[in-house]
Amino acid sequence: MRTNASSWLKAAFAVLRKDAVCEFRVRYGLTTLSMFAVITLATVSMGIAGAGLGSKLAASLLWIVLFFSAMAGLARSFVQEQESGTLLALRLYGGGQAVLFGKMAFNVLLLYIVTALIVPLYIVLLNVEVNGWLPFGAALLLGDTGIAAVATLTALIVARTGAKGALFPVITFPVLLPLFLAAVSATVRSLDGGGTPVVELLFMVCYDIVVVAAASLLFDCIWQD
Amino acid sequence: MERTHVYRLVTALLTAGVVWAVFYLVPPAEGLGEKVRLAFFHIPVAWVSVLAFLLSAVWSLQYLRTRRIVYDWRSAAAAGLGFAFCILATVSGAVFAKLTWGAYWNWDPRQTTIFVLLLIYGAYLTLRTGIEDGEQRANVSAVYSLLASITVPFLVFIIPRYYYSLHPAPVINSAGRIDMDAVMVYVLMAAVAVCTAIFWQALEWLVEGRRRGEKAGVKEEWGS
Repeated sequence: MRTNASSWLKAAFAVLRKDAVCEFRVRYGLTTLSMFAVITLATVSMGIAGAGLGSKLAASLLWIVLFFSAMAGLARSFVQEQESGTLLALRLYGGGQAVLFGKMAFNVLLLYIVTALIVPLYIVLLNVEVNGWLPFGAALLLGDTGIAAVATLTALIVARTGAKGALFPVITFPVLLPLFLAAVSATVRSLDGGGTPVVELLFMVCYDIVVVAAASLLFDCIWQD
Repeated sequence: MERTHVYRLVTALLTAGVVWAVFYLVPPAEGLGEKVRLAFFHIPVAWVSVLAFLLSAVWSLQYLRTRRIVYDWRSAAAAGLGFAFCILATVSGAVFAKLTWGAYWNWDPRQTTIFVLLLIYGAYLTLRTGIEDGEQRANVSAVYSLLASITVPFLVFIIPRYYYSLHPAPVINSAGRIDMDAVMVYVLMAAVAVCTAIFWQALEWLVEGRRRGEKAGVKEEWGS
């Protein structure tokens, strides 16, 4: 399996492309995620009827919307393979790590796209003013990466429970909480414009690296079983 | 008398001794007064809830390496007991916070940390209820337990240092100094030891029950 890195990369890329093609044909994941995010944002915006939110509330709201949109869409990663009966084929042809990183890359991309769609809406609907665009963008990218990395492993766990969808947020959130705290605090500071939140961003980088490494180590235990 | 009965009897006697010491030997603390006695409950249960979490993760790793189901039983029993101790630590901590800081809950970094621990225990135990096949459950929950345990260094070492906390430093603090009356330290050590012994015996009891159930052919006696 570890003969050379390029064949491994190729396999991971093939999984990513397969997922992207499937997604492009059905567009189920992207529409669910985006609609979920829009609905949540609109609900809050209507409820407060244009009243300004403090930066703390606004930042937590952004991350709540992102987290639950991810939870609404990413559970499908493996459940859908199981439902269409392609999980076995994937296990036969793709090595565990290739599947993990292919799926993870796809989930990361999906979340990036959704974020790009909802951030303008968020700024318009909730009347939010961003003072530090660079840290704001960095926090979003790092946060999305962490969410997608953890969600890829927990999605496989959920597929193993017989697709009990309600379990997905329940088991994902505790693992993501440290990242969530840092992301909210970085977002607050970039909204307020009080200097770059270096510590929070560094914390998020470390967290992402650790989570990806842990997912890679643990994935095979479930995948091969 | 059987050996386990002796252990239980000794633990019960020691517990009674520690309870007596907490109420009659420990002097009222400066600033805290009589309220300090609550700390002799709070610190040991908080210690056990973290210990149980680590043990559960270690046994999960052992399970993944050896695939012996008994490690899964131990891991599950440690998590179940850890959850109970964690609730006790959270509640006693909240009461302590009300008495000293004036509010039950204010998301102090320590409170955040213990809350995440509660969530992880809850998620782990919920996950276990969701899988019916024994080996599948052991495998999946072991992986989840290890995944969750990577958050611990972030929660324990980074967040409390970075955010300002009102919580007093651990007894043996970073300076390596002990800021406590000698009697208090001894009683606290005894309380921690006794609490750990109670946890351990409950754990053995649960695992033993499981083993007997398996022998008698009763599968899934307690559904976790």
